[in-house]
Amino acid sequence: MSGPRPSPPDRRLLLEAKDLVSGCDRCGACLPVCPLFRVRDLERASGRGKNAIARALAEGGLEPGPEARAAVDFCLLCRACAEACPNRIPTDEAMVRVRQFFTDAAGGPPAGLALVGRALRSRRWVRLGAGALALLRRVGLDRLLPAGTAPAQFTRAAFLRAFAGPAVLGGPVPAAPAALGGRVAYFQGCGMRLLFPDAARSTLALLNGLGPAAGRDNSCCGLPHLAHGMTGTFLELARRNIALYEDADLVVTDCASCGGTLKHLAGWFAGDPDWRDRAAAFSAKVLDLTEYLVRAGYRPRARHDLTFTFHEPCHLCRGQGIRDQPRQLLAQAGRFVDMAEADSCCGGAGTFHLEHPEVAGLILERKRRNIEHTGAQVVVTACPGCLLQLTRAAEASGGRFQAIHISQVL
Amino acid sequence: MTILEDLRRAVGAEHVLDSGLDRFGYSYDSSHHPLVPARLPDVVVRPRTTGEVARVLALANAHGIPVTPRGAASGRTGGSVPLHGGIALTLDRMTGILEVDEANMMVTAEPGVRTMALHDACAARGLFYPPDPASWKFSTIGGNVAENAGGMRAVKYGVTRNYVMGLEVVLADGTVLETGGKAIKNVTGYDLTSLFTGSEGTLGVITRATLRLIAMPKARGVLRILFPAMDDGCRAVQRMLLEGIVPSVAELMDDLSLGAVARHRNLQLPEAAGACAIVEVDGEDGAALAAQARRIEAVAVACGALEVRVAQSQAEADDLWALRRGLSSAVGALAPDCLSEDISVPRGAFPEMVRRIRAISAKYGLPIPVFGHAGDGNLHPAVLCDLKDPGQAERAEQAVAELFAAALAVGGTLSGEHGIGLTKRPFLERALGAAGVRTLKAIKQSLDPKGILNPGKIW
Repeated sequence: MSGPRPSPPDRRLLLEAKDLVSGCDRCGACLPVCPLFRVRDLERASGRGKNAIARALAEGGLEPGPEARAAVDFCLLCRACAEACPNRIPTDEAMVRVRQFFTDAAGGPPAGLALVGRALRSRRWVRLGAGALALLRRVGLDRLLPAGTAPAQFTRAAFLRAFAGPAVLGGPVPAAPAALGGRVAYFQGCGMRLLFPDAARSTLALLNGLGPAAGRDNSCCGLPHLAHGMTGTFLELARRNIALYEDADLVVTDCASCGGTLKHLAGWFAGDPDWRDRAAAFSAKVLDLTEYLVRAGYRPRARHDLTFTFHEPCHLCRGQGIRDQPRQLLAQAGRFVDMAEADSCCGGAGTFHLEHPEVAGLILERKRRNIEHTGAQVVVTACPGCLLQLTRAAEASGGRFQAIHISQVL
Repeated sequence: MTILEDLRRAVGAEHVLDSGLDRFGYSYDSSHHPLVPARLPDVVVRPRTTGEVARVLALANAHGIPVTPRGAASGRTGGSVPLHGGIALTLDRMTGILEVDEANMMVTAEPGVRTMALHDACAARGLFYPPDPASWKFSTIGGNVAENAGGMRAVKYGVTRNYVMGLEVVLADGTVLETGGKAIKNVTGYDLTSLFTGSEGTLGVITRATLRLIAMPKARGVLRILFPAMDDGCRAVQRMLLEGIVPSVAELMDDLSLGAVARHRNLQLPEAAGACAIVEVDGEDGAALAAQARRIEAVAVACGALEVRVAQSQAEADDLWALRRGLSSAVGALAPDCLSEDISVPRGAFPEMVRRIRAISAKYGLPIPVFGHAGDGNLHPAVLCDLKDPGQAERAEQAVAELFAAALAVGGTLSGEHGIGLTKRPFLERALGAAGVRTLKAIKQSLDPKGILNPGKIW
């Protein structure tokens, strides 16, 4: 595989970033809501600080050196700042531009990220990885892997064993309500495939309960590439997926990050006459699993005698505006109680938790306390990245709660 | 580099930042002062205790190093911009609420506490800290005291100054001074508490504040009143106050502002509406609110109101409030740049001031939407322009200068709640007169003879 071609850094990226943040009047509304600023209360960690950095880089007020690069990399891209901002400044989008600038300037992403990027770009590598992890799990060797590579999975079977009476086990699936019609296809993200295959199986079972639905040999949604200055790869993957699902009427995913990314593909092709309409048509048919289930009138198979709480993935609540559907489904599947700061990032944020384990740990601590405060036995989420973090939180809680994907409790 | 080492010893090495990026991060606030070229501090120092602040100031004073105190840097006039370099002294690690004293109805807090956090901690005990600057969710109480922040509730409850009972202040040489206290009546010596309140970090560093509280009102209600013109709205608010109806909020916006926010929020409003008042009332219970609402409606209708809507539910109240809360960003979105001012005039001069603003807008060919706190005479005219266009930039500058002149001409002043900071310095002498400025300087000279505290501000 050839290395990334070195290209001169494109200052237009900095100007684009500056345009995105030029409406920031530095009021400070984003400071209290930034999960990073809460645990590292330095201006450079905040949304306002990052907007100012982006602007100063473009205007020549700051040198584009390693310090500035580290600062723009130190962002969860969680959009909490944008949501709190009176002027709705998209700091995350600006950071993506500046990161691309730095990646280009360095002639490519750092070796580790480049490797991950290349692996996720290839369907074969993702499949092989998933197979290898499954094997290691089966023989119990997964414990030897670096933390987070192969998280403990709380499977649906384990969930039912732990929380459900025998009457529920294998209970009948209610008759499918009027289907939404057309061909439903499943989009399986890399995280679900590699890390949480049991949850992915539950998703497919749910989908098939409502009508025929199958996965396809889809490629990575490209978010990891986009987030780390590999926009070219992101676009290539997007084209592949758009073409792959052209004959589907609905594309359902159980990964909030994939869903959020796929729903926003159209914007990236707005200036491309060949792909503009195809991308827009694709984005319009992407649904999150919970969105699809509620729309299809699905009722959970059983009502469990236990309390759920829900952690909102950034890409679900802010990325897709989906807030009610998971709560509604969980309230039907058991008792539901909201946690404080349910929509605050868990610290996972793609590879952030690997690059900044200590900070991600502090953010997760706060999340764990919020979960424990609800008294819920199970924290549910809808994104493998979050589930990875929450599984760690569940371990740290010493059994006070379990973490599970929403498809596994419905 | 021994000063740097001394600073590290004073507050802990990890709380002294001198990298290029961190110096940049503490070079700006929320004013129009340009981000680039940055006014970089030489070093950012983040003390946790009064003792640490005192050590830092003693060091700075000994070496004649400028010190610019900073809370959340949410100020609108450049108060926390380290104009002359030196030390950016951030108080945002001092976040303790030290005491909520229910018997005396007072709260004592460190300067870095966010105003909302202070409000909420008091509210949990049924106590109310009323000042609510628009930045209350993120600005700090230290900054609020140093700028004497106002807010929408000033018409009934006053501004920050009306709640400050006592302060702990570190003077320029590191001396720790206590002013005021919990005694409500106190005429022992000069009123130093008031002197430091609104001193914009030029006389000392506030390290603790004791603030008066009142009982939390049990119920609140909101009305939206549409008028044909600003004059009618002003008259209605004056009549309410004359008749003894004191709303907790009386916000007025003109047709330009109203149009902007209506477009922003997709609202349908009657075409004839040329002004809108958002009025909040509070009281003992629903019946008390309803009685006030009836009286307000009668006054409004007598003054020509086109429509009076009283929120019947919390959702409707939020809806009506959204009109006011969304205003600044809706107005800001009308043009590439928006020079939002903060003039304050006697309440009776509010209509005349609005007329003068209209004339200035016409003269310079720049739209100037007006909204403000009609109940207290504090207006926020927003000069809309594109500063990239040199012609417009010059006209905008002249328009702002004329706004100030007009405010002074009708008996008003330069700033109601944002302070003078950097951005209004050129107009100070016109507002205070030579003797006024001389007196400020004399006070400054006696408290900070070396001029290390926030140099380059106010005058």
